[in-house]
Order: sequence, then C-alpha cells, then structure tokens
Amino acid sequence: MDVNVPDARLMPDTLAPPAAFSGRGRRFAWTLLLLAVAFGAVPAAIVGTGSSYLAQIAITTMIFVILSASLNHVTGTAGLLSIGHAAFYGIGAYAAALLSTRLGLPFIVTLPAAGLIAALFGFLVALPTMRLVSIYFAVATLGIGEMIYVVLLNWVDVTRGPMGIRGIPPIELFGWQADTLLSRYLAVAVIAVACVWVLHRLTHSYYGNALRALREDDQCADSMGINVERLKIESFVVATFFAGIAGALLAHTSAYIAPDNFRFMESILILAMVVVGGLGSLPGAVVGALFMIVLPEALRDIGDYRMIAVGATMFLSILLLPKGMLAEGTALGFVRRSFSRGWATIAGGTPVGWK
Amino acid sequence: MVFDVFFLQQVINGLSIGCVYALMAIGFTLIFGVLNVVNFAHGEVYTIGAFVGLMVITAMAPPLLAVVPLVLAVGAVSGVGLERIAFRPFRRFTDEASQKSRAMREATLLSSLAVSIVTREIMMHIFGGDMQGIPSGYLLQQPVAIGPVMVASGSLVIFATSAVMLGALQFLLYRTQTGLGIRAVSNNQLGARYVGINTDRTIVTTFAVGSMLGATAGILVGLYDGAISPHMGFAPGVKAFVAMVMGGLSSIPGAVACALLLGVSESIATEFLSSGWKDLITYSLLVITLVFFPQGLFGHGRERA
Repeated sequence: MDVNVPDARLMPDTLAPPAAFSGRGRRFAWTLLLLAVAFGAVPAAIVGTGSSYLAQIAITTMIFVILSASLNHVTGTAGLLSIGHAAFYGIGAYAAALLSTRLGLPFIVTLPAAGLIAALFGFLVALPTMRLVSIYFAVATLGIGEMIYVVLLNWVDVTRGPMGIRGIPPIELFGWQADTLLSRYLAVAVIAVACVWVLHRLTHSYYGNALRALREDDQCADSMGINVERLKIESFVVATFFAGIAGALLAHTSAYIAPDNFRFMESILILAMVVVGGLGSLPGAVVGALFMIVLPEALRDIGDYRMIAVGATMFLSILLLPKGMLAEGTALGFVRRSFSRGWATIAGGTPVGWK
Repeated sequence: MVFDVFFLQQVINGLSIGCVYALMAIGFTLIFGVLNVVNFAHGEVYTIGAFVGLMVITAMAPPLLAVVPLVLAVGAVSGVGLERIAFRPFRRFTDEASQKSRAMREATLLSSLAVSIVTREIMMHIFGGDMQGIPSGYLLQQPVAIGPVMVASGSLVIFATSAVMLGALQFLLYRTQTGLGIRAVSNNQLGARYVGINTDRTIVTTFAVGSMLGATAGILVGLYDGAISPHMGFAPGVKAFVAMVMGGLSSIPGAVACALLLGVSESIATEFLSSGWKDLITYSLLVITLVFFPQGLFGHGRERA
C-alpha cells in the first residue's frame, strides 16, 4: 500500500459501524471465531481422528504463524527486508535446547530465555546494520544468518554440530506435562495466540503507524521527528524475540533440533509466507503461514512432484495476487472493523488514527 | 620458500574461484541494474549451463571449444525464458503506486525464487539429486607447471575465458548501441523510455547477456571440479550476490573486485581453518565491509527515491 494514494477501502465513512453495540458485537465475532478454531475445532479434530500426523502439522503451523507474524513486523510493517530470520529462530531453539539439556532448566525459564537471547543477538546485529538501507540491509541479514548457521554447524563442542541435539524435554509447567499430542498442541497454540496478539497491538496502533511511516520514507519520517534509528532497532529486536520464542517451541515439541532446520531456505520460506499472505498485513502473515505449511502436506499424495507443485502454486499466487492474499490496505480495514476499536475522532467527528 | 609456492598456488586457485563468482556477480549486477530486483534464479542458470554442457559432451563428444558457444546460446535462451516467466508478468502494473510499492518488488523477487525452485526440482527429476561425473577426457585438472608453481589447466581456462568475456562485455556496454541502452535503462528506466529506448527489449537483452555469463561459469566449474549436481548453483549464487552487494550494486568493476577478493580469501582460509568454517570468512568480510562502507566499496551515495 502506498500512503500517497488514498485507498477507498480505508476511507472511514464506509466502515463506521452503524451503532456502538453492533460494532462491539462484530468486533468480538471474529475474535471468538478464531479462538474457537484454534482451541475448539483443531483440538477436536486431533482428538477425533487421533492422528499424530495432524497434531504435528498443527504444531508446525502454529510455530510458523509466530515466525511469519514476527517477520511481517520487521519486513512488512517496518520495511526492513530481513532474509536471515531463520537464524534467530535457530538461536532460540539452541538456547532452549542447551538450557534445558545441559542446565536442566524448566520450560518456564527456557521459553523467555530463548526469546531474550535471540533478541540480544538481534540487538547486537541491529546496532551496526541499521544504517544500511534496502538491499544492503537484506544482504547483511543474509550474511549474518549464514554466519550463525556456520557456527551452529561447526561449533561441535557446544552444539554437537550436524548431529543436532536430542532428548530435549517436552513442555512442562509447574508439574503439568504436555506429553500427549493434544496438550502439546494446546500449549503451543496458547503461546502462538499470545504472540500474535502482542504483535497485533504493536502493529495496529500509532506505534505501528510510525513504523509504516519509516518504511515508506525513512528520511521523511526522520524529519517529522520520528526516531528512525530507534524504531528500526526496536522492530528488529521484537521480531527476533518472537523468532526465539518460536525456536524454543520447536525445540520442546520436536525434542530434536539440527542446524539444517535453520538454513537460508527456511528464512526464504518464512519470507514467502509473509509475501504470499500480504506484505505488511498481520492477518495475511497468519494466512500465509497456514497456506505454505498446509499446502505441501495436502500435496503429499503426488509424492516426488510435491515441491514442483509448491513452487508453482507460490508462483501463481504471487502472480495473481502480487500484493498478497490479504493486501495491507484491506487487512488494516479488516482489523480495524473486527479486532480493534475502530477510528479515533478529532473535533467535528473526523475519524483519524487508532483508538 | 615451500610455503611461498604453496601460498601462491592457493592464491591462484582462489583467483579462479573468484573469476567464477565474478562471472555470476556480473549477471546479478546487470540484471539488478535494469530492474532493481535481485534475480534469485541466477544460480539455476549456472546449473543449467553445466548440465547442458554435460549432456552435449556425453551425447556428441564435441571439442571443448564447440561446447562453449552452445552453452552461451543455452544461457541466453534460459535468460530470456526466465525474464518472460518470472519478471515480465510483474511489469504489467505500470501505475506509480505499484512501481514504488515494496510489496510489488518483494513479489517479483519471490517469483524468481519460485521459478528457481521449480527449475531445480525439475532438474532433480530428470538428472537425479546425486553428483554426476564429467567424462574424464574433458576434465580440466591436468597440472601445468609455471616456474615452480603447479596450476590446474582448469584455472588457466577459467582465467582465459573470464578475460575474454569481460572484454566482450566491456565492448558491448561501452561501444555498442545495445550497451548504451542497457546503461541508460540502469540509470533511469523512465528517462530511457522517454528518449525512445525500447526498455522491454533492453531488459530481455540484459537477461540474455547476464545468463550467458552465468551459464558459462557453470560449465567451467563443472569441468574444473569434475562433478555437477542440481544443487550446485546455490552456493556460488549466494557468494556472487554477496560480491555484487559488497561492490556497490551497480558497479561491475566493484563486483568483479569483490568476487576475486572472496575467492582468494576463501581459498587462503581453507589453509588455516577446517573447510566448514570457510564460509564464516566470506560473510564476515561482507558484514565488515557493509559496516564501514554502507553503500558497498564502489557504490554511489544514497539517492532520494
């Protein structure tokens, strides 16, 4: 979406709910529906079919929803093209795995620790790279991502190199162990929903507007008094934090991690989710993650030709919907109507900004 | 003294790897110049070059000098096809909002990636995922003694081919009408269109030229290393991409210099580190360069969009 072009879909008068009450009702309808799917329909399907395969896909999807939503925060909303996101996912996974297998720390400690360690690395990476613009920044993240991969692969004393780390304990909370597939899924889903909710509150706000401003033109945003440097660093750190959380979830649900889970192609897969869903659109990022995880599984029957079909579908969806399945303009309108409190008004009832 | 000779050999090996990176990096630079989009499928052109070369060699056993023009032609065709499939459809949006839109640019980047995934998988189906050997008669691994230094004949062939291709490219860019068009479109696509340059045709030409260089690099490496696989294009593609950015995106001399630098530093690094760590050198060089030269070594200052 280009800010210079008024987008008819964003024009408030067509969206303003007729009355406060019905607006409220509508606002919760989508939230309830999504929660019902995540915590009702999917667990019911897992229990009903008793299929571990289905549960595994549901868990993977939830993890990738976090990754895709967090990459969307930095690449879509703040406009910093990062193609090393999987490396921070890897740092989180290794942090959680090492803390729990070597030091025996419980999940309640390793989960935030993984996020914080990934965020710390993100901060260290962001400091020198933030003055890079456009493709230079993208390549710097690519380079750093590959460096992290090389370290994970070759620092055998700590990471066990290509053998990976085995026997990571499952999620457990104050004695409650997520040892069945259903409970494992539920734990991951709760955390994923919380992550997406935080990102939603960050993006769909004045703070999010500032990020979008610096994406469109950082020099202009700078001259308008937005602290561009700081916002860029913050958005990158937030994204890497959530990537670390996703990594910890992967480590604790799959019990085994290896460096190949965190290579360049994984970063590209996450980027593809964001772009297919709609760059800059948080609902799009979620839809994109669902699409890119479920599609290859749905195509399992055609076996060897699966990756060709995935590539072709990805190509077609980008070709036909270059702005994504849920383009940013549409998505912002949708979020405003269905998940937030609509428009704030200034004198004369003119709607502006976020409430 | 022994160390010195050995060191020199490593430098020469590194330079020949660097030349391969340079040939690919030039393709990246040319295409990025005219379109402002990274072509992620460039590595696949390199692989196609190698496989077509191998097919021709096994089927007809022609002399080596006949293989190169054929690979050049295949490279040109695959470049044109790539442009047609992955890039042209995205130029149908000509309004200003779409052209400046980041979503559109990222979409084009990923469409080239999608095409590269499909191409690679198709090649996997046709040729299998394993390494394929090159018939030994064509291998360029005979040692040649130059004074005390032993050099593989492949290095010499790579040097010679790269020199010829760089010369030809220089001629094309600075002495012909087509080259003038390419430079004009790189400089300002809209301006070039206003003065009557057929930008679409220029873009196609650029893809053809860039892919010819990439495909040649592919077959040269195949003959030098003796084995090719559908995945071979990935690593040099990333390295060439890095070299292009280190050189400053739009500068061909910069890309070539950085590609050679990467090749030599990798080759020397394998002497001091186990080979697993050698990529760390490449990417550290990249990050250090970008920290001190945010526009690359030979880049221009930042333009206002």
